[in-house]
Amino acid sequence: MTVLNLILLSLLYFWCSSTALSLGIGYYTLYRPIISGMITGLILGDIVLGMLAGSIVNIIYIDFISTGGSLKGDQCLTAIIAATAAIILKLSPIEASAIAYPFGYAGIFIWKYRLSINSIFVRKYDEKYNSGLSPNIAIYDGVLPQILLYLMSTIVILIAIGTMLMLKNLIVNESIKHILLLFGIFMINISIINVMYKIKNNINIILFLVMLVFVCAFNISSNIILIVLLIILLFLSYKDFLFSLYTKTKTHENKILNKKDLFVSWFIWMNFSHSCYNYERLQGMAFAHSMKNIIKKLYKDNETRMTTINKYTEFFNTEPNIGTPIHGYIISLEEDKSLGNEVADIKYMKKGMMGIAAGLGDSFTQVVLSPLFISMSLMLSLDNKYFEAMIPVLLLSGIIIFFSYTGWMNGYYVGRDSLIERINLVKKSKIKLFFPLFFASILGAVTGKLIKLNYSIIIDDLFNIIVVTMISIIFMIVKTKNKGKILR
Amino acid sequence: MKNIVLTRIDDRLLHGQVIVSWIPLLNIDEIVIVDDEYASDEFMANLIKEAAPDYIKVNVLSVNESAEYLNSGSNDTNLLLLSRYVENIEKLIKLNVIISKVNIGGLGFCEGRKKYVNAIHMSDLELDILKNIAEKGIAVEVQMLPRDKAIIL
Repeated sequence: MTVLNLILLSLLYFWCSSTALSLGIGYYTLYRPIISGMITGLILGDIVLGMLAGSIVNIIYIDFISTGGSLKGDQCLTAIIAATAAIILKLSPIEASAIAYPFGYAGIFIWKYRLSINSIFVRKYDEKYNSGLSPNIAIYDGVLPQILLYLMSTIVILIAIGTMLMLKNLIVNESIKHILLLFGIFMINISIINVMYKIKNNINIILFLVMLVFVCAFNISSNIILIVLLIILLFLSYKDFLFSLYTKTKTHENKILNKKDLFVSWFIWMNFSHSCYNYERLQGMAFAHSMKNIIKKLYKDNETRMTTINKYTEFFNTEPNIGTPIHGYIISLEEDKSLGNEVADIKYMKKGMMGIAAGLGDSFTQVVLSPLFISMSLMLSLDNKYFEAMIPVLLLSGIIIFFSYTGWMNGYYVGRDSLIERINLVKKSKIKLFFPLFFASILGAVTGKLIKLNYSIIIDDLFNIIVVTMISIIFMIVKTKNKGKILR
Repeated sequence: MKNIVLTRIDDRLLHGQVIVSWIPLLNIDEIVIVDDEYASDEFMANLIKEAAPDYIKVNVLSVNESAEYLNSGSNDTNLLLLSRYVENIEKLIKLNVIISKVNIGGLGFCEGRKKYVNAIHMSDLELDILKNIAEKGIAVEVQMLPRDKAIIL
């Protein structure tokens, strides 16, 4: 491990966990263990092993949804540590994931305190604004929070890797490795059982088992499964896509602003929507940041520019990609207002629309799209198809950007009804409807590929692995029963 | 009289946390949104109705309409009562609507509000109203998600 390696790893962790500076898709790509593990592998010189370790971590975190705090650690940090452990300490991917698991909790530190710490920048901005100066929103929303996050990420990654290397002699020992292997299998079991429990339904469980057995018995190539899945998905959703592309009646024309201004504003939003995410205003600073270029073009007087930008720093929160018609529509209102026209109350419209878009948006992008495509990538990566494993991740990114961009433009040209249209589209989406079936089948295939990949390890230690599996099943039964009691 | 399973104050109304967590957990099949402003705004009322899952009946009503609606009819549905403002809940209680528990799920920062805990911000007036409600023997709890620990006011 060289100093350069460490610097690159801290940069990687910063970039992955910041979810900023990555066109809004960082959260769906870089932050996912399969990708962060792969890049860690690239830095440390073994991309395949890094990706495999990341994939195992990703399975452990497959039930992750970020509406509120998660009980598990930070999946991205876990993946970076697992890939490092696999490459530097020469552990198997499962052993490496097991040793990395406790380190994931160090990452929670960042996620938990970031929302509080970022409030400092809001206060600094307010102070400066109130004292009559003109604070640059790009600095308070973009630069400062990102520098702070970089420092925090570096500290966390150095402590995590340092601790792991100090424990090196302890870890690289056959009996410890054996315990790690069994713990890793326990974590994988729990994660898969948990998902199957959440999408409980006999058909889903049957699909899971059928795929598992088929993949194991006939060694079906994951390429074929991918192609079949993509064809079904395309068949179910091509109408929705065509509908989104279809040009609707415009209610608003470019007046002062042109398409490039809209693009710049969208681009800033995509890169900084969660840059200064804080409990006080959530995405408020980012909204104002994305309006900066628009307001500069609409108003020539510096005083008006500052007060208008400041108006947009108020509390705002929505799903950043599905909710984009709000931004487009608000921009069109601000443009009309600057021309002296009577427009709807901007503050009222923004507030009313954001909550609704957040509700449906999260239940689509986070609960449906991302597990669907990421699990496909996992299946391919566990089948040694590393290149093909990028296809689902790229598709997911493409869909997110498509949603986000078309929403922004429709919000501006078509108006507020485009949000209702979009909500309808998401709500009636067939992919959403059939998601549990897809997810159960893919997870079956993932489990099958995982067993095939570790076949020799499993046979060597069959008795212990069966015991661990039994324990994990009993553990989950007890856990879900207890949960039921608390709720009642 | 309607069976109000949960009364939630959240300025995001039908937010992801509500749709993904609370609705399935409590088997909600009807929602009443108490909001004078949205009740008279066709676009907003429509938007809210569209956002709810199809199997759920959503009504966007003014305070007076809500009181009338909640105090009549049968109790065969599990009803979720949502409001952006604590004031509306106080008014409903004055109009004899029986509310057993008030859940505070999200109140964003705005002029005059101070941070109470994480994503909950309240003005002194709002806090007083909630304390008054609590004194009537109604449980007032801050709890964003079912899995979070409830903080009793």
